[in-house]
Amino acid sequence: MHTAFILLLVGLSTLAAALVARKGARRRLRSAAGKTLETVGLAAVFLLVNAVIGFSLTLLARAVTGAFFSLYLNDDVTILALSALQALLFQWWREPEEG
Amino acid sequence: MSARGALRVVGAAALALFAALAFTPLAGVLYRVLVPPAPPPEAAPAIVVLGAGVDEGVLTDHSLRRALGGVALFRRGLAPLIVMLGPGRRGRSEAEVRVRLAEELGVPSSALLADPRGSTTRDEARVCWEDLAPRGVRKILLVTGGQHMPRAAALFRRVGFEVVPAPVHDMPSDVDRPEARLEVAHDLLGELLARALGRVAERR
Repeated sequence: MHTAFILLLVGLSTLAAALVARKGARRRLRSAAGKTLETVGLAAVFLLVNAVIGFSLTLLARAVTGAFFSLYLNDDVTILALSALQALLFQWWREPEEG
Repeated sequence: MSARGALRVVGAAALALFAALAFTPLAGVLYRVLVPPAPPPEAAPAIVVLGAGVDEGVLTDHSLRRALGGVALFRRGLAPLIVMLGPGRRGRSEAEVRVRLAEELGVPSSALLADPRGSTTRDEARVCWEDLAPRGVRKILLVTGGQHMPRAAALFRRVGFEVVPAPVHDMPSDVDRPEARLEVAHDLLGELLARALGRVAERR
């Protein structure tokens, strides 16, 4: 029920967006889908890099200070959100400027 | 393949994994494969409740479920002693908060022991042995989450305990809600990483 509801919700809003999109813009859908996949891929890469750095820093802090630092410090949903933001920023940064 | 092409492949794989975990029963299937069902708990001299986190005196959901699981076993008469574990950095430790909760639920103080010294499951096994071995306790009812039980039971057996697993159902394994499915997948991934890191630590 939940799954069907959420998929229906997102499907309807996507359909509405497609209807209001200009005709010319619709032709660029394939390119937009490709760029979206690139951004998601970049977010996944940033998430992996953040995880590796986070685990390394935690283990280093344990070794240097002798105090206990939990690896669960790296288990926070905000890291996922921030990785997505990093990916968006990086993606826009790489894009050639318009005009 | 160009960098853009590689990123598209990674992105497509990430989206496919997300869709499979959130919108199909895959997470529940993985849970049932990786978390074996436990037999009914049997009587033992002590119940040991593993830590799961406390934030400024407030138990996390997992911690609360485990503490209540321990109290329920005590109320069923399966053991005369509950050992509550769990550290704390600010304010009262998780172990102390749980002991207070158990007292409020009617467990006598004489049947409760708090030990906040263990920060990892391995530490908890060690400090528990230090607490219980002098009392002659070898057999324990071990209370933790189902996904955590195989690793925890192995660590407690290694220090010398005879372990009777008494897992609490702190994760729904058969749900339709995408958020809950992702939570199950997230916890399973965390546990698999902990098992892998434990193996790496043992090899050193």
